[in-house]
Amino acid sequence: MNALASAVKLHLNKREATLLVPLYITATVALISVLISLLFWRSGSQPGSAVWIESSQYNPGMLYALIGFLAYLGVQSVSTTFPFALTLGSTRRAFTGGTLLWAVITSAYLAAVFTLLTLIELATDHWFVGFYVFDVNVLGAGDIARLIPIVFLGTLTVLTLGGVFGASWVRFASRGPVVLGAGIAVIVIVALIVLIPVAASIAAAFQLWWLAVASIAIVLLSSIGTWLFLRPAIVR
Amino acid sequence: MTTAIDIQSVTRRFGRTTALSGMSFSAEAGSILGLFGRNGAGKTTIMSIIAGQDRPTSGRVEVLGREPFENESVLSQISYVRDNQRYPDDYKLHHVLRIAPDFAPNWNADVAAELVEGFRIPQKTKIKKFSRGQLSSVAIVLGIAARASVTLLDEPYLGLDITARALFHDVLIRDYAAHPRTIVLSTHLIEEAERLFDRIVIVDRGRVVVDSDRDEVPNLAFTLSGTADAVGRLVRERTVLRSNTIGGLRSVTVRGATDEALAAEARASGVQIAPASLQELVAAFGESEALAPASDSAPEAALTQNGAHS
Repeated sequence: MNALASAVKLHLNKREATLLVPLYITATVALISVLISLLFWRSGSQPGSAVWIESSQYNPGMLYALIGFLAYLGVQSVSTTFPFALTLGSTRRAFTGGTLLWAVITSAYLAAVFTLLTLIELATDHWFVGFYVFDVNVLGAGDIARLIPIVFLGTLTVLTLGGVFGASWVRFASRGPVVLGAGIAVIVIVALIVLIPVAASIAAAFQLWWLAVASIAIVLLSSIGTWLFLRPAIVR
Repeated sequence: MTTAIDIQSVTRRFGRTTALSGMSFSAEAGSILGLFGRNGAGKTTIMSIIAGQDRPTSGRVEVLGREPFENESVLSQISYVRDNQRYPDDYKLHHVLRIAPDFAPNWNADVAAELVEGFRIPQKTKIKKFSRGQLSSVAIVLGIAARASVTLLDEPYLGLDITARALFHDVLIRDYAAHPRTIVLSTHLIEEAERLFDRIVIVDRGRVVVDSDRDEVPNLAFTLSGTADAVGRLVRERTVLRSNTIGGLRSVTVRGATDEALAAEARASGVQIAPASLQELVAAFGESEALAPASDSAPEAALTQNGAHS
């Protein structure tokens, strides 16, 4: 347990990257969203109108901006941290477990931050002027019961997926991510080839919880993959 | 004395490359072992295996009585910083000093602070922008301040200026005396570190070619210098490890100890004779083709041939 806790602390040792940079990105995207809203306002669109609300809620900027950083954070959590963890005396087992636990903590932290900001946005009737920053479709359109799993599982998925790519790089150098990426692409394409004839019926039956199940499956597979890559990996 | 590190017939292959071939040696608890050899001889590979960062292809490694790989209790008592150590992105010195105590139960913050100040390690610069010497300084801080039962120092002097090297020696000796531990130190600056060692191991091509107490070094080889003809006569029937000829003069390093008869013959021939220094010994064994392994399947041949393995 101590080894696991030490591995988590090793990740949290970079406090700014884990805790503050996501906030910087969120604030930057929020500012840009507000500026774009002002642009529409100046061009004649009216805050609070049905068109204004619908178009504002289609803004996926927050999601895209964070995904890039979270993917990087996931990759580096293994690729550059693993060699140092071994130097400090961590076992591969403790490091892999600690990395997953750190990803859970980071995901919970971001889910809490987004929940708080969304609640503030809703309570202030969208920052008093009708700006939609967090009350957007990709974050559950103001429904906290959807926002929390979206942010938590989305962050966890991206972090662990980044982690398995980082682990493949540690194990096989540049060949690792290339082969892993190609392998995932092949699996996705083959799945599409098999499912495309019934795509319409699948879409009709689609339930949001399917995404949650898919996300949990990706997290589990990524974590197992990370362990399998790191177990025999040596640092040279 | 108990054995802290026990290496038995360790072979490590990377694909078609054999990095270690039947390597065996041990280190007593509370001693300082010098690990020498040319670049690529296998020093870093065996250190990685001792530190549990790698596993042998075959053979047995025990540290503090147990196999180190994935062994939490053993790894917490080992300190090993690679000569090309990588640090997490954006790490600065304070990140290292903040996290190291979590993994090193005997970490001493005063020793760390003394070394940081003495080495003048930059506090605000990212570690990935450090010079070679500054990287070595961070590695030394981690290695010494951890006070680990088994401390592995791989080329700790790389890029260090003479003042920093002197500081390293002073703090190492002082802290080692106060808190004995088993230290394995590899370096190419042999003369500077010579006084530290209790035991020396010289490796070449993945094999141990010398494994000896420090005091026995003068009996392992000697040098002869004189005219080429006279030196040639004296080394007949002996194993020459290294030979330099300049004009009509020749200097050789010969395996084994001198004896009275040889000394008398050398004096009569005007040939100077002296025990080989540790540096000459390492250079000689690293250069000697006489010790080249005949094949991968006969590792013991090299150990027996040099006559120094104990």
